Amino acid sequence: MKTPNVTCRGVGKVFGKGELAVKALVDVDLDIMPGDFATLAGPSGSGKTTLLNMVGALDTPTSGEVTIEGQPLGKLNKSELSDLRLNRIGFVFQAYNLIPVLSARENIEFVMELQGIPANERKTRAQQVLAEVGLKGLDNRRPSELSGGQQQRVAIARALVSRPSIVLADEPTANLDSKTTSELVALMYRLNQELGITFLIGTHDPRVMEHSRRHIELLDGRIASDTKI
Amino acid sequence: MTNTLKTFTPLAWRNLWRNPRRTVITLIVVSIGLWSVLFFNSFLNAWMQASKDATLSLLIGQGQIHAPGYLDDPSIEALMPPPSGKLLAALNDPRISNWVARLQLPGVVESEYKTLPINIMGVDPEAEKHISSIPGKVVEGHYLTSTSDAGVVIGLHLAERLKTGLGRRVILMSQNTEGKLSEQSFDVIGLFDADQATEDYYAFTGIKAAQQYVGLKNQIAQIAFAIPVEENLDPVLSKLKQAAPDLDIRSWKELSVYLATSDSFMKGFIYVWLAVVFSLMAIGIVNTQLMAVFERTHEFGLLRALGMKSRRVLLLVTLESTFLIGFGVLLGMLLSGLSIYALSGGIDLSGFAAGLEMAQGGQVLFPKLDPVAFLVFSLLVWLLGILVALWPARRASRLSPVEAMRYAS
Repeated sequence: MKTPNVTCRGVGKVFGKGELAVKALVDVDLDIMPGDFATLAGPSGSGKTTLLNMVGALDTPTSGEVTIEGQPLGKLNKSELSDLRLNRIGFVFQAYNLIPVLSARENIEFVMELQGIPANERKTRAQQVLAEVGLKGLDNRRPSELSGGQQQRVAIARALVSRPSIVLADEPTANLDSKTTSELVALMYRLNQELGITFLIGTHDPRVMEHSRRHIELLDGRIASDTKI
Repeated sequence: MTNTLKTFTPLAWRNLWRNPRRTVITLIVVSIGLWSVLFFNSFLNAWMQASKDATLSLLIGQGQIHAPGYLDDPSIEALMPPPSGKLLAALNDPRISNWVARLQLPGVVESEYKTLPINIMGVDPEAEKHISSIPGKVVEGHYLTSTSDAGVVIGLHLAERLKTGLGRRVILMSQNTEGKLSEQSFDVIGLFDADQATEDYYAFTGIKAAQQYVGLKNQIAQIAFAIPVEENLDPVLSKLKQAAPDLDIRSWKELSVYLATSDSFMKGFIYVWLAVVFSLMAIGIVNTQLMAVFERTHEFGLLRALGMKSRRVLLLVTLESTFLIGFGVLLGMLLSGLSIYALSGGIDLSGFAAGLEMAQGGQVLFPKLDPVAFLVFSLLVWLLGILVALWPARRASRLSPVEAMRYAS
């Protein structure tokens, strides 16, 4: 039996205190298995981003526990959490979030530099992953010289290059037109199929959900449904 | 660490130029601030040097030797023999460029119209030319020609007060060796133009003529010596004190307290100026760096989310400040070097001669580049700049990734 990449047990998150307290997540139990291509859907305020932040070790739950590859996050200090994010988790954000002063290749190499990978290997791997996301020849372009779709491809390449056990994407297609969205979803799906990379995508874009092989629905901070397709 | 620096250096450099206007403003603030410190330091040093040159070269020299008690009661009873033996050998030390023996006696000068107090100075005219600026300041008539010259050289202002002049006679009166008053008429052979105090209270005649006039054989009142290199002053004084332990040997700092106080005040004042300038610079640096950090809050959140540790964020922002302030410092050094070089031929302040005389200042200042002060002040500004910039850097490093990423980029 496979070990889950991510396990959430009784995860809850409350923002604020007293009468102003807002329960963003309530008693969430979830296992993300290796090779999953899962979408996390739900209306605005349902807790998608909060759950992705918990799973991404960016935030800590008020109750319950998140485990990544058998490692309980609650027992890690800030530095260990940084290491975990660097080496085990890839992030793709809605607003691309590339470093504006670095070229496409440098943005990708930056993560590897933080990992301490030697320069030669960094360059080879960055070019390889840029080719994989269809950006061969655009290595030296800065984010401002790339289209929205191209920037999001660079962001995906950056998320993949550290060879994470899971890629978390929060509304990755929200700023893209339909043609670019279809291409990007097809790209993530292909990477999932060919390289076995686990994706957990927070979205309410039906074009993304079409490719989903597991659909998790959140409502008022609770998992309303978890369907394998 | 080396790899981290290799990674962060180009990133920090590019980050500096994301907002060129802010970077240029900070560069201007740092460079002008440092320029003001370095140039002002050089100007103050030049001012003090000119003051010292002007004052010490008149009569004081870098130090003087007297018989014990003479400075408290400069009478004919407190004289000493001319230097010999160990003292003479010590005075011939190569660090002493010149020395002179003088007879200085309190007395009065009398003309047909007025009697005024005076210091009667018996001098060796040839030796004086190498140590004192008075012989060069004679504007009417001529300076003394020999130690036996029985003419008198007085100041222009004194001559005016006495209503006397060149070629006329004045009477000098002073106590002689027998405790009585000696009086003798002297021809006014020269008038000198110096500061008013020197003009009013000194009358120069040949040392042998002066000794004869009060009945002395060869006793003297003072030995003044010149030491061109300031650093040699203390060791030479020690050597002289060892050679003549019974004599009263003092440096110019003890003889001219006003000048010594001004000197130490000026040296201290540059640090006050540095503190004022740096406080203003620090406000500018902290402000611009805080703005830079604030504008990039979202990005720092992203870096933290990607797995960058907080100490690396601190290093990145500190590296940016290090470059920024470092280039400002280099620019400030260049500006200062150029402006000091441009004025090294002399700043003529003779237009303010009256005011300068009151402040015992020199009339022409020669700013010089002091390499040690140049490097120390520059390094100090750079290091203090980095230190104050640590605050915004620390703020960036402590951001929570989630909260930071909520900021709009």
